[in-house]
Amino acid sequence: MMMLELDGCLLKSTVIVPALALVSAAHRVADWRATAPPGVWPADALAADDGGRTVSTAHPSLDVQLPGGGWPLGALIELLQPAPDAPVWPLVLPALAARQHSAGGALALVGSPHEPFVPALMAAGVRADAVLWLRADAPSARLWLAEQALACADVAAVLAWLPRARSADLRRLHLAAARRGEGLLFALRPAEAAVSASPAPLRVQVDAEDGTPVPTLRLHLLKRRGPPLAEPVLLGRCAPLRDVLAASAAGQGVSDADRAPPWAARAGLDVVRPEVGDAVVRLAVAA
Amino acid sequence: MLWFALPWPLEKASAQPAQDEPGDPPACDPLGWWALRLTPHVTRLGDALLLEVSGSLRLWGGAAALQRRIFEENPALASANIAQAAIGIIALAHLRLRRDGRGVPAGGVAALPLSVLDAARLHLPLLERLGLRTWGDAHALPRAPMVRRFGPGLRAALDVAFGLVPERYPWLVLPERFDEALELPAHAESAPALLWSANRLLAALQAWLRARQQGVLAFELGWTLDQKRLNGRALPPAQSLRIRTAEPAQSMDHLRRLLAERLARTSLLAPAIGLRLHAVQTAPWQPGNAALLPGEQRRGEPLHVFIERANARLGPGSVRRPVLRADHRPEQRQRWEVVDEKNHPHPKPLPPAGEGATDHAPADALAPTWLLHPPQPLEVRGGLPWRGGAALRLLTRPCRVETGWWAEGAPASDAAGEAVARDYFMAQGAAQELLWVYRERPTSRTPASAAPRWFLHGIYA
Repeated sequence: MMMLELDGCLLKSTVIVPALALVSAAHRVADWRATAPPGVWPADALAADDGGRTVSTAHPSLDVQLPGGGWPLGALIELLQPAPDAPVWPLVLPALAARQHSAGGALALVGSPHEPFVPALMAAGVRADAVLWLRADAPSARLWLAEQALACADVAAVLAWLPRARSADLRRLHLAAARRGEGLLFALRPAEAAVSASPAPLRVQVDAEDGTPVPTLRLHLLKRRGPPLAEPVLLGRCAPLRDVLAASAAGQGVSDADRAPPWAARAGLDVVRPEVGDAVVRLAVAA
Repeated sequence: MLWFALPWPLEKASAQPAQDEPGDPPACDPLGWWALRLTPHVTRLGDALLLEVSGSLRLWGGAAALQRRIFEENPALASANIAQAAIGIIALAHLRLRRDGRGVPAGGVAALPLSVLDAARLHLPLLERLGLRTWGDAHALPRAPMVRRFGPGLRAALDVAFGLVPERYPWLVLPERFDEALELPAHAESAPALLWSANRLLAALQAWLRARQQGVLAFELGWTLDQKRLNGRALPPAQSLRIRTAEPAQSMDHLRRLLAERLARTSLLAPAIGLRLHAVQTAPWQPGNAALLPGEQRRGEPLHVFIERANARLGPGSVRRPVLRADHRPEQRQRWEVVDEKNHPHPKPLPPAGEGATDHAPADALAPTWLLHPPQPLEVRGGLPWRGGAALRLLTRPCRVETGWWAEGAPASDAAGEAVARDYFMAQGAAQELLWVYRERPTSRTPASAAPRWFLHGIYA
C-alpha cells in the first residue's frame, strides 16, 4: 500500500491509493515520483524540492532531514522554545545571513524578548545596516507587523516572537509568506504550543540538551513534509564559541576544584589550555 | 484642427453631493488636469471640456485610438459621448445635440439649431419669432444690422463657426501649487468619516501631480470646525494633519492608507464642515525602472512604505535600526535609532554584500546575541554570582573593559555613557544556559568596603 500525503497546510488530508494499483509493480513507484503532481509525494520520503526554494541551514545534519535540504522560503517555519530568550540564534543565523547575502534586504525582528546585540549578529555575517528592530507588545500588533514586513520587497527575513498567536493568525502569516514567495519567516512560539495544530509546514521544537559539557541544541522535527522523525537532531554551537566551551569543559575539573577561592584567585587560573584553544579562543580569553 | 468635446461635469460628479450649484464652477478640475496629458490645449466652455488634439494626434495614434484611450482611462465617461469636429463650438453643439437625444442634422454647420449655440441663448425667443432656427439662417442676416440688433457676440460666434475667424480660448493651466478645498456634504462627526471626502481631494491631487510630473512628499489635510466653543472652551477654527513620505509618490494608495491610519488615531474637536488639502512639498517624479525580463520584477512594496505604515499605525518609534559606534562598552556599541520618513535606511534594494559584511572584530564571534538593557543585578553569595538558585559557573578568564573615563564628572547623558570598570565572563547557569556576566571592579568612586557587584549583561541564545 502506498500512502500519499497531499501538500496542504490548509487542508491536511491523506489519500490512500488503491493497493492493487501499485502493489503489483514496484517500479511504478518511480513512475509516480516522476509524474506526481506538485505537492504530492510518497509518504516514506521527503517532499521533493519544488524548484530550489529553500535556503540551507548550514547544519548538514539538519539539512538532510528537511524537504528540499533547507529552510523553505515562502512558508511559515515554526520554532518552539521553552522560553522566548532560549537559544535559537545558532539555528537560524547562518540561513539569515546567507539569505541576506544572496537576495539582499533587511532582517526584521518582531517583538524580540531582549535587545539584539548587533556586533554578534554581524560576526555571523548579518549586515548591520539592514537589521530592523520592530517593537510591539500587543499580539495583534506583532502579527500585523510581521505580515506587513513580509509584504515588503526589501525585507529578506522575518523573525517574529508570537507567544500568543492562534492557529488562524498563523495561517494568515503563512499565506502572507506564500504570497511574497521568497521571504524567510520564522515564528517563535512557546513549547506548550506543540500540542496544538498549526498551519506551518515545518515545526521544530528547540530544546537545550542537558548533561553535555558543550551546550547543544536538540531539535525535534514535530512536522515536516515527509515521514515523522523519531529521534532528535543535535546541533552544536558555532565554531569559536564551541571551541571556547570545549576548552572550558576540558578544564572543568580544575575549575571545579578551584571554585572555593573567589574570583580573585581565579583570574590566574588556566581555564583554557593553550593547546586546546585555537587563535580565536586565545584572543577571546586574552581580550 | 480637431476638437473633442467632453461633457463636464460628468454625470457621476454631478450626482455627488448637492453643493454643485449650476454656474458655480467646481473648485478643482481633475478631468481638465487629466486631459492636459493628452494635449496642452484644453479649455472649459459652458458645460463641456474642449480639447484641441490636432497637435498630438500622431502621438496617440489617430483620433479613434485617442477616443478609445479617453474612454478607457475615464470609466465615468463611458455613458456619455465624445463629440468631434473641426471647430470647437461645433463639437460642443454636436455634444449637446447628442446628449439631448437629438441627432445631428444633415447639412453641416448651417443646419445646426441655434438653441445649442451659447451666444444665441439670450436671443432665442426673438430669433424664434423672426423665424431663424438654424445657424445658417442667422449667418445669412446682413452683418451690420445684426450686430446692432443682437450685439457682437452672436456674430463673432457665427464667424468662428463658419471659419471666418480663428477660435481663441483661455487655455486651462495647472495651478502652481496644489491647494484645494471642499465643503463636506454633511457634518463629519469622526475623523474616519473625513476619509471619504478626502478621497476626492486625493484624486484631484493625483491628477495634478501627474500633469505636473511631480511626486508628493508631504501634504496637509485640514478641516474646519463647525463650532467656535465647546463646553465653554474656545476651539481653534481648524485642525490639520500632516502626512509625510520618504519617496515622492504619485500613487495615492500608500498615502491613503497612511491618512487612514492617522485619521483613525485622531479625534475631532468638533464636527467638521470643510476640508482642505494642500501639497506641502513635492519633488520631480522619477518613475521606477521596469525590468526587461519577466521574472525580474520585485514583488512587494518598498521598505519606506512599510516603515511609514508601521509608524502611522503603531506610533513613531516602533521601527528602529542600529547605529554602531566604536566603543568598548557593550551598551555604547550600538544605539537604536528611530526610523521614520526622514532617515529611512534603504530606498534601493540592498546590493548583495561583499567584503563589507565582515568588518567586525574577531572577538565579536564570542559576543552574546541578546543584550540586557539595563544590566540585570545578580545575587552574590560567597563572592560568586547566583542566578535561579544556583551559582553561575564561570567558563572563561575575565575580559576587562575599563573606559569611559571622560564621562566622569560630566552630566549624565545617554550619548556619553558612564565610566565603567568591569570584568566580563562567560558563565553557565543551572539550566545550562550561557550568560555574559560582569563584575564591577572597585574604583576610586566605590567605597572600599563594598563587595563587588555582579551583573548579567547578555544571553547567548
